[in-house]
Amino acid sequence: MSDYRYIGKKAIRPDGPDKAAGKAYYIHDLKRPAMFYGKIKFSDQAHARIVNIDTSKAEKLPGVKAVITAYNTPEVRIGFLRDNFALKKDKIRQYRDEIAAVAAIDAEIAAEAVDLIEVEYEPLKGVFSPEEALEEGAPLIHETDPQGRSRKDNVLPIRYRHESGDTEAGKKAARYTAEGVYSTPLVQQSCMGTAGCIAEFDMNNNLTLWAKTQIPFLAQRDFNQALADMGLRGKNTRIIVPTLGGGFGTGLDTHAYEYIAILLAFRTGHPIKILYSRDEEFAYLSPRQSSQTTITQGCDERGNLTFRSIDVLQDNGAYTSWGATYPSVMMLPATSLYRVPNIHFDSKLIYTNNTYCQAMRGYGNPELSWALENNMDELAEAAGIDPYEFRLLNCNEPGETTPMGLKISTCGLRESLRTAAEKLDWKEKRGRRKKRGVGMASLMHVGGGARIYRSDASGLILKLDDYGNVYAYHGGVEMGQGLHAVLTSAIAESLGVLPEKVFINPTDTGTCPWDVGTHASRGSFMAGNVAILAAQKLRGQIFEMAEEIFPAEAKKKLNKILQKDKGFKPAEFDVERAAKRKNFDLKDGFIYIDDAPDEPWLRLELGRFLRAVHFRDQGQMLTTEVFYDPPNELPDWKKGYGNMSATYVYGTQGVEVEVDTDTGEVEILKMVAAHDVGKVLDPQGLRGQFYGALAQGIGYAFYEKLESQQGKIQNTNFRDYKIPTIQEMVFPIDLEFIETDDNFGPFGAKGVAEPGLVPTAPAIANAIYDAIGVRIHDLPITPEKILSALKKVPGTFFQGEK
Amino acid sequence: MIRFDYFKPNSLDEAFSLKRKYPDAKYVAGGTDVMVQIKNREIQPLALISLRNIPELSTIETNGKARIGAAVTIRDIIGHTELERTYPVLVDAAKRLGSTQIRNVATIGGNLSNCSPCADTATPLLIMEAKLRLRKLETTREIPIVDFFQGPGSSCLTTDEILSHIVLDPPSERAQAVFLKKGRVKMDLAVASVAVLLELDGDKCLKARLAAGSVAPVPLRLRRVEELLEGRRITPELISEAQRMAEESVSPITDIRSSQEYRRHIVGVYVKRGLEKLLGWSRV
Amino acid sequence: MKHEVAFILNGAEICVRIDDHLRLIDLLREVLGMTGTKEGCGEGECGACTVIVDGRAVNSCLYPALEIEGKNVLTIEGLRDAENRLSAIQMAFVDSGAIQCGFCTPGMIMSAKALLDANPDPTDDEIRDALLGNLCRCTGYVQIIEAVKQALQRLKGPS
Repeated sequence: MSDYRYIGKKAIRPDGPDKAAGKAYYIHDLKRPAMFYGKIKFSDQAHARIVNIDTSKAEKLPGVKAVITAYNTPEVRIGFLRDNFALKKDKIRQYRDEIAAVAAIDAEIAAEAVDLIEVEYEPLKGVFSPEEALEEGAPLIHETDPQGRSRKDNVLPIRYRHESGDTEAGKKAARYTAEGVYSTPLVQQSCMGTAGCIAEFDMNNNLTLWAKTQIPFLAQRDFNQALADMGLRGKNTRIIVPTLGGGFGTGLDTHAYEYIAILLAFRTGHPIKILYSRDEEFAYLSPRQSSQTTITQGCDERGNLTFRSIDVLQDNGAYTSWGATYPSVMMLPATSLYRVPNIHFDSKLIYTNNTYCQAMRGYGNPELSWALENNMDELAEAAGIDPYEFRLLNCNEPGETTPMGLKISTCGLRESLRTAAEKLDWKEKRGRRKKRGVGMASLMHVGGGARIYRSDASGLILKLDDYGNVYAYHGGVEMGQGLHAVLTSAIAESLGVLPEKVFINPTDTGTCPWDVGTHASRGSFMAGNVAILAAQKLRGQIFEMAEEIFPAEAKKKLNKILQKDKGFKPAEFDVERAAKRKNFDLKDGFIYIDDAPDEPWLRLELGRFLRAVHFRDQGQMLTTEVFYDPPNELPDWKKGYGNMSATYVYGTQGVEVEVDTDTGEVEILKMVAAHDVGKVLDPQGLRGQFYGALAQGIGYAFYEKLESQQGKIQNTNFRDYKIPTIQEMVFPIDLEFIETDDNFGPFGAKGVAEPGLVPTAPAIANAIYDAIGVRIHDLPITPEKILSALKKVPGTFFQGEK
Repeated sequence: MIRFDYFKPNSLDEAFSLKRKYPDAKYVAGGTDVMVQIKNREIQPLALISLRNIPELSTIETNGKARIGAAVTIRDIIGHTELERTYPVLVDAAKRLGSTQIRNVATIGGNLSNCSPCADTATPLLIMEAKLRLRKLETTREIPIVDFFQGPGSSCLTTDEILSHIVLDPPSERAQAVFLKKGRVKMDLAVASVAVLLELDGDKCLKARLAAGSVAPVPLRLRRVEELLEGRRITPELISEAQRMAEESVSPITDIRSSQEYRRHIVGVYVKRGLEKLLGWSRV
Repeated sequence: MKHEVAFILNGAEICVRIDDHLRLIDLLREVLGMTGTKEGCGEGECGACTVIVDGRAVNSCLYPALEIEGKNVLTIEGLRDAENRLSAIQMAFVDSGAIQCGFCTPGMIMSAKALLDANPDPTDDEIRDALLGNLCRCTGYVQIIEAVKQALQRLKGPS
């Protein structure tokens, strides 16, 4: 394997020093001249008709510049199903519905004005679970669809399903089966930097939006549609992405607050900033989608899986965002984690008056894996087979094509299972059932982009200046995951320059090439690949020009040396003859001829070369552009078939726990995460991604849950919604990266941003089962639930349950 | 809009006279509770009277009795070697309060006056039978701490009174105490907490004081458990009885942090563990 | 009402006239334009707003600005040296991968600084205790602890 200069070595993040100095500017820190502040009035009902909105008092408050409602603005529909609106009219359908908004000279006045807006509601009966929403005579959340046709029920017209093989035959062939119903709750992404944006129109009515987004170009598309709705068809939106205080999926959709900022900006003619406070973030930003999964699996005498049947039910909430597409991602592990010949996968999404949901890291995979990996252990137990052996037996192998049509090129699952078992001391520790236990769970996820849209592309523009500096324009979003560090290293490595000479420009739809978005763990995979392609192109251009420039510059340099040092004896070398494009190399910012003697006149500094190119007759500047759409397919969702990604990642996590059966507390003694990453690009950044993901997985497993009662979120601050603190991460974590060296991955690397939290919760659940024989089906696994379950074990006194 | 005047009196007399001038003003010390309440519009005082700059409220005296000024920060309680030596259970509880940043400004008087059933300093002070000095312009009175808490957020302070000092008698030679707190994560309001003090002669219990937090409208003395234990040899059976009695003595609620059944159960477990620890039967 | 408040900010004396109800974080961010200190929750739970007052880490979102009278305040902006170079703690954070989105970073660094100034040789437990009030959603904290340990080595100097 070639020895890379930067790839595989620790990369200093280019954004690190500014962040450490407090000089990174987040949306919270940005101001535009003459900017006003926007605040939104949210509904305090879950389901009601709007009888009247009285904004008169708000309008009179000094400092208020505009008050808007759906009644004095053009209708702006939002969401991919177009079932949502920037401002709500006639009816509200959930607690967080945006009823009105105020622009004022400061945020306090805006907030006070919001309080002065009086809304008269006619309450309607609300439905707060899929079951309630499906009952006979249940009120319709949406009486009509976006095209105006009458709806007959609360079932969404979205259904991801997959049938392959013959599940009936599979059931008959099964000697052992295991069935279970599993649920996952609403969880908040909890970015430390809350959501916000600044909207500003220029005098030509083109819009600039500084947005906390992961999808600048899809957002541009969405907002251009909104401009058309506002009577500004043909006008353009420019999205500029500032430093983000975290993403985790919150930036994958466009949000009502952004459209509201745009409406206020247009109404007032001033830049408008809307910023969510922490309470607003919890109460009014779409969280992770909850789920309920019914799963049955069966295996034969020897333990080979014979069928898998999965039905997913999701509470879609009042409107539709990416939560509704989780089942499309769930389909991947449902069909392709372990080898299963006969598969039924179906999903049902129901409108309710609860909050609607958006993407969060893992995007359905943690939800499905929660059910699947618990069930695998249950089935292994039914079959009398050790769960580790059971997984090995049904392991995916490289080269296979799964029932969904996923082409598994490289696959580190077997190795990850073995590593997890070994690091956990599995054979020694499994099965003792004395309050200490070990458990494992595996995952598979996309690792080579994910075609969820007609293009899965990214691009890169590299612009060289007179000094050998390389300016990169890339549409991917740095949200802390280290994308800019990887891009810098990839450019430096592929082009042959020092990382310090690479400058990554801000993500800006006005300057960067189109990018579908930074999601599905595709960031590094795409950035790395476009860096390699762009560098190749640029090197080609440089070496072609060097045929002429190199000998001329070499001669100049040699003359200068001889002038200074008359005794200098240059090595024998026919520069003219050797100066052919295929003989050149660019290394550390110097152009060399292969196999030339190592003398100063035979290396040409890139900046000098570029100036020579620039200032000669008919001079040129070097800029190159590439656009790469990876070799993956948009699945046929009717069939549930298609090779969605260019490559896939597999992995296994294992946990050792100790359970305090008096308090129900679970202590993690040790964690091991063995993940197929293709190639380690930046070892420190990679570890950071995994530690962060594991922490989120632990929160997901043990205490994170948004409590929704009658549609209202009850825990809207960090006092009541707990995420892991530094003292929760006190156990040894063993990260093992398996390098399977993928063909499609840049330098062999696969995307790995999400996998780290996918199997964590089920690994913990499986370990708890090993420790105390109790399996909790509904996340989070709280001490209350453990004690409640333990009452089934003789000798405990606990009566209640939560 | 959040608007208030902010006063920084340098003496108690000045503070009292400000309060008379602005009867709707609220006293504030560290602000870690009051500022959050203001932000959430739970209270909307027109003025705040800060107690942070009143020297007599910010001192700790430990000759004989301990007299802790109400405006002493939790951090300064933790850092006070004499307090740690003589009243270690108070320091232990103080260490579990919030975070470093909170402890650096939060005060013991504020923690008590907020009258949260979760107050971390309340249970240790209850088992040590602290006295609270309540002052108003004309008079001072001292009450047993157990009379201070009336209900969640409600103390026996009259509108013109403040809590000025916490007074502790030196503990007996034999007294040992322990503080146990359960949160969902390490920085959390208590889901349940228990403080236990025992004076033992071998395994005979001469004196028992127990208190529980977050399991009743106020931080609660577990008197029936105390009566059960005093004068008796402590055996595993007695501990089990104490555990059950503790469960029966409390009236927890179900809220966002936990369920009442769980809280009740934890109180019993913590009483058991507290007793076992003090008897040297286990490490907690 | 408005009052003047005179204090020492990052080593320099300063006096400003502010509204009574301002919090220290408002004084820093809004009045003085020093946006390095971040507001993550406004309730003292996340620690993103941590600054150091008289050597002690505090949540500036809960600190009434008028209480800063006569005190010594250190913010993230004050850690750079006279030549505008990052301090040892900041360099350790950059070097250890302890920074991802960076929103929690200023507060985290200030808590670390307060710890190391008071206790140059903390145990792992003491480090965790000092940083308990600083939430991070990105890093999982492991590399943050590594950064603090690297910082204390750097500060100790060559042995």
